[in-house]
Amino acid sequence: MGLFDKLSKILKFKKETMTILVVGLNNSGKSTIINHFKNTDDRNSITVPTVGFSIEKFQNHGVNFTALDMSGAGRYRNLWQHHFKTCQGIVYVIDSSDRMRLVVVKDELEILLKHPDLEHKRIPILFYANKMDFADALSSVKIAAALGLEKIDDKPWHISSSNAISGEGLEEGVQWLIEQIRICVIDAKKKRTRKDDN
Amino acid sequence: MKPTKWLTVQSESNPSLNTLPNCLTLCDLKSDNYWKLIAAEIPRDTNFRPRLKVYKGIGMISEQGLPGMPSAIESFYIEEPLPKSPIIAVAISESIYFYRNMKPYFKYTIPELNVEQLEIDIWRKLPIERPENQNDLIEQLKTIESCRLTWLSQKLCRVPKDERDSFIRQHAEYPLKRFSTIVAMKCLQKASSDYHPASCLVVATSNSDVFIIDTQSFVIIHQARVCYYQTCPSQMAVQGQFETDFRIVISSRHGNIYILHKSWLEGKEICKLNNPPIGLTLLPVDQTLIVTGMDKQLACFSKKGKRLYSTDLPDIPICMTPVHLPHFGITLVAIGLRNKRVVFFHNKSQVDEIELTEIPTAIIFGRLGQEDHVLTIFTDSGNINIKILKRTANFEGNVMENKFAMIEKGKVGGSGDNETLEIPKKTTIFVEQTIREKEHAQAIYNSFQVELWRLRLMAARETVEKIRLSDSSISDGATHAPLKLDAEVGGMGPQFRLFLSITNMCTEREISFLRILLHADQRHYLVNKSIANLPVLFPGITLKLDFDITAVLDPIDKLPPPDLTAEKAIVRVLVFKKNHAKPIIAASIGMPESESPLEN
Repeated sequence: MGLFDKLSKILKFKKETMTILVVGLNNSGKSTIINHFKNTDDRNSITVPTVGFSIEKFQNHGVNFTALDMSGAGRYRNLWQHHFKTCQGIVYVIDSSDRMRLVVVKDELEILLKHPDLEHKRIPILFYANKMDFADALSSVKIAAALGLEKIDDKPWHISSSNAISGEGLEEGVQWLIEQIRICVIDAKKKRTRKDDN
Repeated sequence: MKPTKWLTVQSESNPSLNTLPNCLTLCDLKSDNYWKLIAAEIPRDTNFRPRLKVYKGIGMISEQGLPGMPSAIESFYIEEPLPKSPIIAVAISESIYFYRNMKPYFKYTIPELNVEQLEIDIWRKLPIERPENQNDLIEQLKTIESCRLTWLSQKLCRVPKDERDSFIRQHAEYPLKRFSTIVAMKCLQKASSDYHPASCLVVATSNSDVFIIDTQSFVIIHQARVCYYQTCPSQMAVQGQFETDFRIVISSRHGNIYILHKSWLEGKEICKLNNPPIGLTLLPVDQTLIVTGMDKQLACFSKKGKRLYSTDLPDIPICMTPVHLPHFGITLVAIGLRNKRVVFFHNKSQVDEIELTEIPTAIIFGRLGQEDHVLTIFTDSGNINIKILKRTANFEGNVMENKFAMIEKGKVGGSGDNETLEIPKKTTIFVEQTIREKEHAQAIYNSFQVELWRLRLMAARETVEKIRLSDSSISDGATHAPLKLDAEVGGMGPQFRLFLSITNMCTEREISFLRILLHADQRHYLVNKSIANLPVLFPGITLKLDFDITAVLDPIDKLPPPDLTAEKAIVRVLVFKKNHAKPIIAASIGMPESESPLEN
């Protein structure tokens, strides 16, 4: 059985699937980012504010992604936590031009990190400092400093500046996310086998 | 420390803005769903012109000069096809300037007032009169109340004498016009419709007129007086819709509060405060009115002017704004205080507090940027503090907490209505005992009384015995040093003087802490000083004392009471040592029979 699994993986019979949770404040560009990963035929021409959440599927680097595109509106933010258990990676989208709301971004991030489902879970978090093309956009370094990302030591994180409309900077972030999810999956498997051996 | 409910927006640049609470508005200026703050900068230096500034978050994005000192700024929408863009109205003295996309497009001037006939006559004469006669005419002008004069005449009265002639010549051709000044301006929605309903403007003038102005045709659609007499409004609050029902509440500079309803032509005075109000707001719930005054009070009035409650503020309020929180279904009132705090009240209980580093001067709550619940606070040095309400903030707990705190307070004060008494649970023993007591109430009472009388009798017997034992003029000296007491009664009556001499009979010991007590039947003798502390008695020294004793005589026949027999005519003298119950000496002094008082 194990041999067949490995064989199928090598031959890519069975593609890897990854579930990611896309969160961030309203109007930060979550849906636009996901839209960009989709095939050109499937893309929506206009993006409207998401209500509740929507499940999007796309392929990237030979991986099947299931993205939970959460709504960022204040009244829907309490829905995020219901998906923390099931997701393998988190994409946190930040509007780098909205300086005023950086405190809100920080507050929401703190709430997210303190949630019991995530607190002791090693889960990669990818930050997109979106809207980098805006004149008053803050650099990713400044955003990382403002959010105090250096304090996150139990989870791998990465921040990349992006422009969801042109697609600039998106690929770099997703590659990092795939690598990190793979590492986490292997770690989890190792743990499981160790447990089984015991 | 309690976790704060507000997130503070950090800013690198520190904008400086001096403004007034009425000169602030929040609107979606560019229709990009990113709400901007529009504020009029009131320069402290009168040489500079006031400016209209637009802020995106903390950063200023545009500014322009204003033609005069603004009294109020409002933003609203008009009836037009979507997408609607907001209109900014700036009230400056007698005019309202309308801006769209920050470009002025209309100037509306409120109707002019009548000019006094005398003033018209004077101005007709002034240009043709010789300069030396002009002064008399100007003196005549001054007889008119200055508030009833036109702006031109007011200025003329202030011009120095030598410049008057040129001033008159310069302004002779001007038509005489008198305007009142707009003191307050608020928006009133026309009808509660969908998104961005159209509004009209409610304007209160210094002449105590209220105008409701249509913002598209620029005509007055309703006109009313603040009240039947002349007053000067200072603050105004508006609630409702123009087409259905609305209320306008106006406070005057003297603390009177007036209310105006739809289709009323004259407002009604609902109450008079002792102090000028700082802030005035109508709450959507129950249409109550919240007023904060200089007397550190927050008062709530019903729509009929009945004072519902009032509560003390920690310091003098400076600015106030309602804080609508529709997701909680409550409306708080945020008040900026002079002690550098912003406090939040829900009804009469304080639910939150923000500490600042400076005194807040103006405060506005509403949607800013993309956040719905943003409190913008301006401080006296011109700093802008932006506080965003946390999504997870909850005021419910505080409301409850405050209720409990009030109950606790009531307990301490002992006069709280909500005071709850702690009554222990009744045990079976207690219940049985109660039943027993009910059944044998008489027997229990009788046996108790018998025992009580027995105790009293024993105590009395013991006292008599003790006094009898020590009834001598010389104490035995077994426990104390021996004392000798001599007594002598002087006088004929009814006033007597009792001379006592006490001698320490001991040779080497002194006696201290002695007290002397005189005891007589009150019906027979009055002793005006019945107890005396004695000084230390040294061996062999005789201490002489005297006391005044008055015999009681019948006021009519000047005879002693009939029950005063020879054996009863005594005064007891008891000598004690302090803190000892047993007297050292107890002497009975027989009093002589009293003569009737000498007639004057």
